[in-house]
Amino acid sequence: MNRLILKYGRPLTAVILAVFAWVIYRRIANGDGIIPLVIAAVIVWALGAPAFIYLWPRLTVNGYKRAILKHGFGEGPIPVNTLYAVPGTSSPSTATSRGSLMATGADDLLYVGGWLDLSKGPQILHVPDMSGRYFSVQFTDPSKSTNFAYVGKRTTGTEAGDYFLSGPGWKGTVPNGMTQISSPTHSALVIGRVFVESDSDLPTAYALAKQIRLAPLKQ
Amino acid sequence: MANALAWFSQSGVVQGLILGAVLAFLTAIVIMNAVGRAVTTTVNGWSAIRKCGQPGNGVLVRAACAKALPVVNVFEEAAYWTATVDGSGQALSGRHGYVLHFPAGKLPPHNAFWSLTPTDAVGYMVDNPTNRYSVGNRSPLAQNTDGSVDLYLQHHAPSGHEQNWLPIPPGNFKLMFRVYLPGAAILDGTYQLPLIDRAQ
Repeated sequence: MNRLILKYGRPLTAVILAVFAWVIYRRIANGDGIIPLVIAAVIVWALGAPAFIYLWPRLTVNGYKRAILKHGFGEGPIPVNTLYAVPGTSSPSTATSRGSLMATGADDLLYVGGWLDLSKGPQILHVPDMSGRYFSVQFTDPSKSTNFAYVGKRTTGTEAGDYFLSGPGWKGTVPNGMTQISSPTHSALVIGRVFVESDSDLPTAYALAKQIRLAPLKQ
Repeated sequence: MANALAWFSQSGVVQGLILGAVLAFLTAIVIMNAVGRAVTTTVNGWSAIRKCGQPGNGVLVRAACAKALPVVNVFEEAAYWTATVDGSGQALSGRHGYVLHFPAGKLPPHNAFWSLTPTDAVGYMVDNPTNRYSVGNRSPLAQNTDGSVDLYLQHHAPSGHEQNWLPIPPGNFKLMFRVYLPGAAILDGTYQLPLIDRAQ
């Protein structure tokens, strides 16, 4: 469906605009007034265009949220504060299905996905020892679709670690040995990536990807 | 009350609301595409948006990025380039063959990996008989005698250069070049990807 919209977006738009032109033409031809129609259209247009632009990043991230919480990536819905490791890399047979987190397709990365909810308290992200292997965990602000934090080879190194994720306004003591990541919003999209060297490396990479986990703070 | 409802249904206000919403949506798309183009830098036919994903981005850049590259990595984590035209500005098509020539030592600098993937015009990978969907730093690429590397992008295998072959779809296609943990020369803009040369 998305593919069809992407492919036929322009002709589709032309058809819709033609229908509107016909509706307005009929009104004028019948002698009906078009002033109320025009005023309503202009007001909605002027308010709606900035609103769409403002909301677009949120709508985009919400698409991922729905994909995660409602459909999952092949093994059913993924509950909040749970990370799911997609077992295989993208290939043409899976790239068009829901199994692929990223439409661009990458046969060199395993993806991990989840939806973070910090409204009931902090969560702890655990990453295993990656022994130099490239990986990253990206935290995306759902209202802006920008990445407010990264854990991974570039930012924190590849040793095992625990990261303390807290929501806005959280007060308390960060447990010893943990690095705090403050989220600007209570929820966030989490996307993990683990490098796959070759087909024979896939089981090792997948075992590591599954060890990237979220857990609530123990009281 | 009944009069008000009758006026409302006959006055064209409802059509106006629908028309306004559709126009607003289309206007938003046009603006986001325009902003997307404005923040895109294109060198040798390769386009990248370096700003995407950064927390400091304003409303317009955030929207343009969400539309062009949803939930994309920040550039220092992963550099993405796309190309839809060759070095002479012609649309990339599987009816032709292309060569990417990397001078000696000029493969992309990185601290993780790089790869080049062709997709169809919409952005999906396309089946090919050899099951090779990308080439990259893990591919056993043959070097020329001067140490340079040529990648052969064509639909059918290039005889004698199978090792450096990247199969492309038969029709129009796009290229995606990804460098994870791009090196300093990419981040400061001194490194440039080579032109996509259409083979004679």
